[in-house]
Amino acid sequence: MKKECIAMLLAGGQGSRLYALTSKAAKPIIPFGGKYRIIDFPLSNCANSGIDVVGVLTQYQPLHLNSYIGSGQPWDLDIQSGGVYILPPYQGYGQKGRWFSGTANAIYQNIEFVDMWDPEYILVLSGDHIYKMDYSDMLSQHKESGADCTIAVIRVPIAEASRFGIMDTDSRGFVCRFTEKPQAPESDLASMGIYIFTWKKLREYLIADEADPMSDKDFGKNIIPKMLAAGEKLWPYSFEGYWRDVGTIDSLWEANMDMLTPELIDLYNKMWPIRSRSPKKPPQFIGKSAVIKNSVITEGCEIYGLVENSVLGNSVTVRRGAKVIGSVLMPGCVIGKNAKIQYAVIGEGAVVEEGAVIGAVPENSGKRSIATVGPDTVIEAKSLVKAGAMVYAEKEA
Amino acid sequence: MTDLYGIIYAYHSYAGLNDLVSDRTSASLPFCSRYRLIDFALSSMTNAGIRDVGIVMQRNYQSLLDHLEGGKDWDLARSGQGGLRLMPPYGTHDLDSGEYRGCMEALAAMRSYISDIPKNSVVLFRGDLAINIDLKDAYKHHLASGKEITAICTDKAFDSGSDCVRFIEDQKGVSRHMHFRHTSSREGLESTEVYIIQKSLLVELVDWSRKNGKLHFHRDALARYLRNGGSVNLYVHKGYAAHICSVADYYAANLDMLSSRYRADLFPEERPVYTKGRSSVSTFYGSTAKVSNSLIADGCYIEGEVENCVLFRGVRVAKGAVLKDCVIMQDTSVGRDSQLTCVIADKDVFFSVGIVLTGSRSLPLYVPKGKEI
Repeated sequence: MKKECIAMLLAGGQGSRLYALTSKAAKPIIPFGGKYRIIDFPLSNCANSGIDVVGVLTQYQPLHLNSYIGSGQPWDLDIQSGGVYILPPYQGYGQKGRWFSGTANAIYQNIEFVDMWDPEYILVLSGDHIYKMDYSDMLSQHKESGADCTIAVIRVPIAEASRFGIMDTDSRGFVCRFTEKPQAPESDLASMGIYIFTWKKLREYLIADEADPMSDKDFGKNIIPKMLAAGEKLWPYSFEGYWRDVGTIDSLWEANMDMLTPELIDLYNKMWPIRSRSPKKPPQFIGKSAVIKNSVITEGCEIYGLVENSVLGNSVTVRRGAKVIGSVLMPGCVIGKNAKIQYAVIGEGAVVEEGAVIGAVPENSGKRSIATVGPDTVIEAKSLVKAGAMVYAEKEA
Repeated sequence: MTDLYGIIYAYHSYAGLNDLVSDRTSASLPFCSRYRLIDFALSSMTNAGIRDVGIVMQRNYQSLLDHLEGGKDWDLARSGQGGLRLMPPYGTHDLDSGEYRGCMEALAAMRSYISDIPKNSVVLFRGDLAINIDLKDAYKHHLASGKEITAICTDKAFDSGSDCVRFIEDQKGVSRHMHFRHTSSREGLESTEVYIIQKSLLVELVDWSRKNGKLHFHRDALARYLRNGGSVNLYVHKGYAAHICSVADYYAANLDMLSSRYRADLFPEERPVYTKGRSSVSTFYGSTAKVSNSLIADGCYIEGEVENCVLFRGVRVAKGAVLKDCVIMQDTSVGRDSQLTCVIADKDVFFSVGIVLTGSRSLPLYVPKGKEI
């Protein structure tokens, strides 16, 4: 079946900078903002933009990701003429099975899948960003500019620019320089890791890059620089609006705290719903002893303690006398009586027993340091997890 | 594969529900922040492995259709056999009042459908109950009893209506006598009016009722069955059960859900209650929010005071507003400094600034859908 544009979502990375949180599940499946998981944002953006074929490339710890996506029903992607497809590494005829060795290689290994839809264009997305974007607007710019590749860009503070792929534009507005994570950035125009390619063109570059033994098989490091060097037309699609990379504990915590200012990303807008798979839990219950200030709380929670400036996923229990301040509690975790959680991220299903203390409020002048407890980890009664520490269960029993 | 088929009655709403059912049937009454009453019948069935459910409808079923869609949320959208079967009134020639006058008349109107049921047993379930029945266990009990019909009873005071049915135990777990509350004492076990019945018996009862112009399940069909020597197996459902017949019932049952014991009864981990999905954000509590002893759905935005309340999805409570003992349905907005006590606000109500409304626990004040105050 022919489609004008299909999306390929790179969801195979480990997210090693989130170590404790991604020890059991891939980064895109990490809970976010109470109700969501990171991957809900690109999937919902696709559905809202009218892109109804999404290939999800998985590799690292895919079990939870696969079951979360399921048939794609929550995002209206369970349709006859397309839908969401999980694409794991596979063994081809007469070959040994191969892992995806880089972002470009992941798409290369799925050329057949893309060809099946015979698309004019392909949208390449990653699973670690929180944002709302109309990809159809980006696609129109791609067509109007006559570019071979369009890169979504956003202005970032120059001090942070060295974390991103940074580019410069020429007098006609096309990209003339692209440097992946430059040490001394000369521009504040950062790649958001969202690309639209004219498929025919990308296909050629993927095949050529695959044959290059020196290549890392990476979009930012290899494909984009090679296209630029060959004089292909690269158009920057300027995005203004809320966008956060949540690749580190700090940035994940900060983006969660942004949810306490609901107008920042405005998830109430019914014209651009971000959908998620709902866990089928009863409503949240706020007990008589509860105190809740400036927080976000989700269905299935039972709150009997104090919750302030925090974001709680579904089915979290906060027992009497517990204090949760400036923290992110992921689904299903239990905070015992009189426990104190401050400036922390608590993973899914973790249990903090009675009286334990996790993290600390930063001193006035001191640097903020977020404590992390991994999923399904038990913090024993009255124990202490210092600010900035990372604790996780080694392996499942 | 279970040998059970489900039929849910959603055709009748009690007059005592007043304006709550002016645009909906009692089966589609919003309940406990995010559910509709029919979710309990549907979930009890699907949790027991029932994959075929017919829903008998009569009037005001638009909201029910909106809620059920294709049955996907209850895993009842099946591509092969079975799944959800919606049965609007057939308008058979012997139905001239335009309204089913009794359960047997409703079933008779779909006689051919019933005789085609490809299962040996049928669960008859009211759509206006707040109950989570372990039907798998009840069916096991039914089969072990060897009886043609099992009545699911409750050990709780259950029905505020006048016509509730009680079974007198003749021997342990078996009854040959029933009576109606208004005719005698509180002796016996109260029926939830949920039955497991052999399909052949159901067809027989429907045919007899039709031929003799009989309308009612208990008064006519079951009474005759017992008179002719039949007996009923009794299965006792333990745990919360409420039959919603009036505004007061509706209000009380919603506030009952503030009890963790009742919530545990209705929402056990192993038999979840499914409902229509609605994508909404988590609920936001502002720095001026003060919330206690309340059930809150997702998608709310709360900056005021909320005590002993049940809030549905998308409710907004502005700064300075005070809500006590209220049931506030979907997308209703309560403006600054408004004070609501013992109020049931239907969907999409808009309370502007400084509105004061006070009902009482026994007589809650009802504000109809879409009103602007």
